[in-house]
Amino acid sequence: MEPTRDTHYTLVDLLDRVLDKGVVLYADVIVSVAGIPLIGVNLRAALAGMETMLSYGVMQEWDQKVRAERSEIGKQGELALAAGEQLRLKIFGSHYYSEGIYSAWRQGYVYVTDRRIALYQPGFGGTLFETPLEAINGLAIQRDNHSLTDSQRENLCLSLSKGDVALLHALDIYKLREAIEDGMSALGLTTREIPAPPMLNQSAARFLAEGEQVIYRGKMWHMMELPVPGAKTMDTWSPGHLYITNKRLCWWHDFEQKVLFEVPLGGITAVAVEVRQLGSMLKKDRVLDVVYETELGRRVACFSGDELLQWEKALKEIIAKQGVVTSGQNMDTCPQCGEEAPVGELLERGCSRCGWVSPRLKKQAPEIAIS
Amino acid sequence: MQQDDRTRVAPIDKAEALITGQGRYLYCVADRGEQVSLGPIGIDGSNVYTIPYRDICAVVHECLAEPYNSTDREVVNSWVLAHQKVVDEAWERWGTVLPLGFDTIVMDKDEVGAEENVRNWLQSDYDNLKSKMGKVRGKAEYGVQIFWELQVIAQNLAKTSPEISQLEEEIKSQSRGVAYLYKQKLENALKRELESKADQCFRDFYERIRRHVVSIVVEKTKQGDQNTQMIMNLSCLLSRDKSAELGEELENINSIEGFSVRFTGPWPPYSFVGT
Repeated sequence: MEPTRDTHYTLVDLLDRVLDKGVVLYADVIVSVAGIPLIGVNLRAALAGMETMLSYGVMQEWDQKVRAERSEIGKQGELALAAGEQLRLKIFGSHYYSEGIYSAWRQGYVYVTDRRIALYQPGFGGTLFETPLEAINGLAIQRDNHSLTDSQRENLCLSLSKGDVALLHALDIYKLREAIEDGMSALGLTTREIPAPPMLNQSAARFLAEGEQVIYRGKMWHMMELPVPGAKTMDTWSPGHLYITNKRLCWWHDFEQKVLFEVPLGGITAVAVEVRQLGSMLKKDRVLDVVYETELGRRVACFSGDELLQWEKALKEIIAKQGVVTSGQNMDTCPQCGEEAPVGELLERGCSRCGWVSPRLKKQAPEIAIS
Repeated sequence: MQQDDRTRVAPIDKAEALITGQGRYLYCVADRGEQVSLGPIGIDGSNVYTIPYRDICAVVHECLAEPYNSTDREVVNSWVLAHQKVVDEAWERWGTVLPLGFDTIVMDKDEVGAEENVRNWLQSDYDNLKSKMGKVRGKAEYGVQIFWELQVIAQNLAKTSPEISQLEEEIKSQSRGVAYLYKQKLENALKRELESKADQCFRDFYERIRRHVVSIVVEKTKQGDQNTQMIMNLSCLLSRDKSAELGEELENINSIEGFSVRFTGPWPPYSFVGT
């Protein structure tokens, strides 16, 4: 077998050698072929692999450039400001995003500049919400009293042009409002306090009767019985929101966008939370059973979601109150043992079962003793 | 005041005296301290000449202190071929050369001319360059690439591997769904067998080649077409008169069913003069 130098393949062989090999000259008087994204370099890359070139120092400048670009990307943890744009406040917060059946608080950093407000999520999210200060018609602090867990949460409501309302939350909501108001007044814009819109899922407004108010609300899965061709029904869990109003307990189905379950508060006779299997595909979890009376007899509605124990407690209070209303007395439970008793009796005399006394009564006791 | 003016003017005068932005494109370092012109045989017809230092010289042409660059593959190929032609010419003339990679250009710097910088490099790197020359003197580089025909090898493996032949037997009696799973199992088994076969071939061939050469550099294998796979890519350094011997050995490998060998060279010793 004779070695050959003059075929198509040997050209590739030659390119390998000439482009990537040979004496290496380590000197600062060498014109580098760095930073040239052209075929010479590409060819080298394809034939030799980056490491070789980098170790030869041939591409040092290119390497630095690429590294610089990479670190730029890494720095995208910050909102890009326009030329001359001044940052007034950057604070951790969230924006309430709602589209179709999807709604969520999206977290990031709220930036207030001399021109705009933006919610920026470092990494993939990018800018999730943005509005120029000029577009703000008014501000309001909204207190969300309906959530069972963080009932004291406050949101900043921005009334925007075209009737849009943006909801923002931040670690320090007042600081955020101040920064926005300062920014607006610097632009010669007047800020107007607007009435705080009720903290509701937009859907709730559609089914509330006149004079009806939401007491509690929350995301909740409901087990619906779907009619199935052939005699039997099939149980399916569907997503929605459960509401306790001053009149009824009702569940809003997110997909169909309407109330599919409702029962007057007086109709609820018992509630219980127990752990059981949620269908064949789901793991075991807590289920809230609400027992209620209808014309056709006793029924049970099943719900699954977060904070079920709080829901249970809230519903039990309602059931208890139903009884009290009929007997003309306000009932409450003893904070220590849970015994139900009329409110007045609990506060003024303490619990008859465990001997609990309200702190206010305790405080008064020494004063009485002195006098 | 006068002194200040003078010191300010002086560097400008010097800078004007020096033709800036000049470079010397380096082809190779040859084993002779000779100052000659090789004529217009360089890249884009440049005049090639030598810069001597003691008993060695650098083969160069005069150029701007800018790299050669093109997006056109054909242009790059022609430059590379021209580069190779000059190195070949020098190799033939002086017997031993240390080739440089494409686009190595020495420039002027800090009022020292490019040519002076080439000479400075030869001077400062002299011992290293001489020792490299000693290593490659009288020798040439040859490329050895060994390929196999995937289908042929796989068929032979199926015949010889008990695991694979058993799986192939079982697959026949299975329903279509199960046969599919068996097929995957078979493919995995075949892949494992091929990998170990390639490993075994590499060691075997490497040993056989090693006996005929002075030095070997194992290069990365390259993507072949679907059926022909490169399993070995070597650069070998050996005396030119030993190339027939190596050729015979490679012929033996080439004649094994399913294997083929590509034997290129002789090349200037590009792979043996680097770091």
